[in-house]
Amino acid sequence: MYKSTGFISFVLRRFTGVALVLYLFTHMWVIGSVNSGPEAFDARLNLVQTPFFKLAEIALLAAVVYHAFDGIRLIIVHYFDVTEYRKSLFYAIFAISAILVIAGGIPILLFALEG
Amino acid sequence: MRIFQMQRVSAIALLVFLTIHMIVVHYPPFHIDFNRILVRMNQPLWKGIDIAFLFFVLIHALTGAYMVLTDVERFNKYQRVLAGLAILIGIMAFIYGAQTILAFSAPVSVNAMVR
Repeated sequence: MYKSTGFISFVLRRFTGVALVLYLFTHMWVIGSVNSGPEAFDARLNLVQTPFFKLAEIALLAAVVYHAFDGIRLIIVHYFDVTEYRKSLFYAIFAISAILVIAGGIPILLFALEG
Repeated sequence: MRIFQMQRVSAIALLVFLTIHMIVVHYPPFHIDFNRILVRMNQPLWKGIDIAFLFFVLIHALTGAYMVLTDVERFNKYQRVLAGLAILIGIMAFIYGAQTILAFSAPVSVNAMVR
């Protein structure tokens, strides 16, 4: 059971989901300072623009992309009669996610390395 | 069942809003500061799009968090409390976020610069 694609996708979906909820409220906290003026906004933004957070954006991208594509897979499996393709769909979304994370991660990495 | 449907509907809405958000705001990655975001946040259409995005993302995040928590046996008996908490956090976060978006207006000097 623990090696089935269904279980792996369930765990990854939950894990990325919880991470994204935590990110959402942090994001709202940062953007919430926009009405306090440029200095206050930039000061709060600077807290999350350290090299560590810039690199963490790659993990964020991975979480968003995987969570979104796994959601699309779930919707397809739920609303269309494709149960027998469940496994193939999981591998497909995993491959698409990996390609998108690499494609999107490289510019983020280069930007982070610029300092 | 209602929560499950809210998850699905908000997920489909998020696929649209998140794609727009990622392309317009975050890709390609660049240094974000106050001046970068005010051009977009100052436009009524973007205010509407951002508020709709906020609405769906909060529904998706809070129903998701509720489902993750109630899956844990220990929390299952607190379903009503957790639902109430999720609704309360959702309303508070929506008011905070929407108020931030609606109240935003670029400083006069920057307005002139943007035009």
